[in-house]
Amino acid sequence: MGHPLPDMRFAPPNPLRIADRASGLNALSVRSYNERLVLSLLLQNEGMSRMEIGEKTGLSAQTASVIVRSLEQEGLVSQGEAQRGRVGPPTIPLSLNPEGAYAVGVGFSRRRIDVALIDFIGTVRFHKQLPAEELNLFQRGGDLLAAIRDAMGSLPAGARGRIAGIGLAVPDEIDAMAATCNGSGHSLKALQAEIEEQIKLPVFVQNDITAAAGGESMFGVAKPLNDYLFFYLGARLQSRLILNHQIYKGNSSTSFDHGLMRLENALNARKQPSEIIWSSSAEWPELGEAYSEWLGECSNRLKASISALIQFVEFKTVVLSSHAPQRIANSLCADINREFANIDALPARVTVSPKAVGAASLPFSSRFMIQ
Amino acid sequence: MRSVLCYGDSNTHGQIPGKGPLERYGPDERWPGVLRAQLGAGWYVIEEGLSGRTTVHDDPIEGAHKNGRTYLRPCLQSHATLDLVIIMLGTNDLKIRFNKPPSEVAMGIGCLVYDIKELAPGPGGTTPEIMIVAPPPMQDDVKEWKSIFAGAPEKSRLLALEFEVLADSLELHFFDAGSVVSCSEADGFHIDAEAHRLLGTALARAVDAIGWSRST
Repeated sequence: MGHPLPDMRFAPPNPLRIADRASGLNALSVRSYNERLVLSLLLQNEGMSRMEIGEKTGLSAQTASVIVRSLEQEGLVSQGEAQRGRVGPPTIPLSLNPEGAYAVGVGFSRRRIDVALIDFIGTVRFHKQLPAEELNLFQRGGDLLAAIRDAMGSLPAGARGRIAGIGLAVPDEIDAMAATCNGSGHSLKALQAEIEEQIKLPVFVQNDITAAAGGESMFGVAKPLNDYLFFYLGARLQSRLILNHQIYKGNSSTSFDHGLMRLENALNARKQPSEIIWSSSAEWPELGEAYSEWLGECSNRLKASISALIQFVEFKTVVLSSHAPQRIANSLCADINREFANIDALPARVTVSPKAVGAASLPFSSRFMIQ
Repeated sequence: MRSVLCYGDSNTHGQIPGKGPLERYGPDERWPGVLRAQLGAGWYVIEEGLSGRTTVHDDPIEGAHKNGRTYLRPCLQSHATLDLVIIMLGTNDLKIRFNKPPSEVAMGIGCLVYDIKELAPGPGGTTPEIMIVAPPPMQDDVKEWKSIFAGAPEKSRLLALEFEVLADSLELHFFDAGSVVSCSEADGFHIDAEAHRLLGTALARAVDAIGWSRST
């Protein structure tokens, strides 16, 4: 028997949150830890049954059932087709509903501002690149707001209520850059406030490289990895170390001058056009000696960093992310794999503006996932 | 092999709409039979449907044996070990003689759930999985049952929400039969053969969706 006192068996049931049958996202309610746990698990593993969710979380199948039902009603989780014909009883796999939630991300770089809208499983549904005049990021506030509105407007009207928020991935030096250059007193905080005021959605801010690593952990090749070393090849070459899902940022001076800025300088020195390397172009034209020299230097810099770090920290995977054409990351990863027998170097899966996608992952992690 | 007990009233018994309690769909036609076919060889499906069964009330007219609570304990013990108990009751509680609001019908279901938990007829003396099925809402026209079921059709449309609130609160599996079938026009509160087929198929899917570990 053993019922706790007082005996609540015959009291009316407690009408929990689910009893509110409003459709759409539960905007203001605080999502329970168990709901976040289930969503995080489904982000990591597509197609789990409720029993498997229970086994992984320690929840009973019935508790998982209640949570899943509420997430289904909100449209965040959807059922797949029953899988029959395997050993054992059939299962109905559960997955995150790609159309359950959306987010907008803005990635700031020296030469470009990227705006992306992603769905709940990280697919880029909209992408736009704005030209950023060097060190003058905030003069284009109006353009940026318009681009965010374009991104939101790319969704059918009925889906716009499912946008969870806006993320900004910004370099650390952004405030200093803006202050010294346009002298307008615009700051990141002001920009954040302006977007929140105009768009009426929560705005989340994170360092750009950390956001890119976070996006790759959430949606990319790093999904199953606890530990890895992350490189971002942008204007400069920067890195983050991820240990047990925590993203560690070294001293900011460890951002190496071996990025695309170095290639640009080399091209300029040879009077070759260099605009292409800041574009979203999937392929670059033949760039000759300047390119091959730069690629070799970049490869050596990567290998030197890995050699230095591997003496102190154990990691088995390196993930290389860049907005530059895929073959560059492929080539650099191949170099690393040749050099280190025990390390697996993988080009990132997120290739359309990794910073913007990482930024867009911020509202999801804040509102739906366990941290 | 896993066992599931289907605990219900005339709509689990398979009573044909507009006919008497002795006229019943065949074993393969009524929803527990459909469930058996759909779930396949890994499951043993036990039918316990009684016409007129209530959640927790002795029926002063039809008899004390219509009380779903007093029969549940011997029934659970007779059929243990059970992996899953499906309960689809509530329609008979809406007879005017019981004078109960939908919320209290849900509380009656709650009593049955507590009894299952107490008796723990699951594997190794555990609580089996429990699935509450809200019966499909009655039609407005219940023919010659009009006086017996006075006011019931309206209440019947509220049962699904009350049952789901209960299922959320007690952490139970839940299925709304009204999401896949309607009651027959013939008498307004029984389901026909096609509805049995649809309901059994949908419930098999809901049972699958629980997900079952590979052991056993």
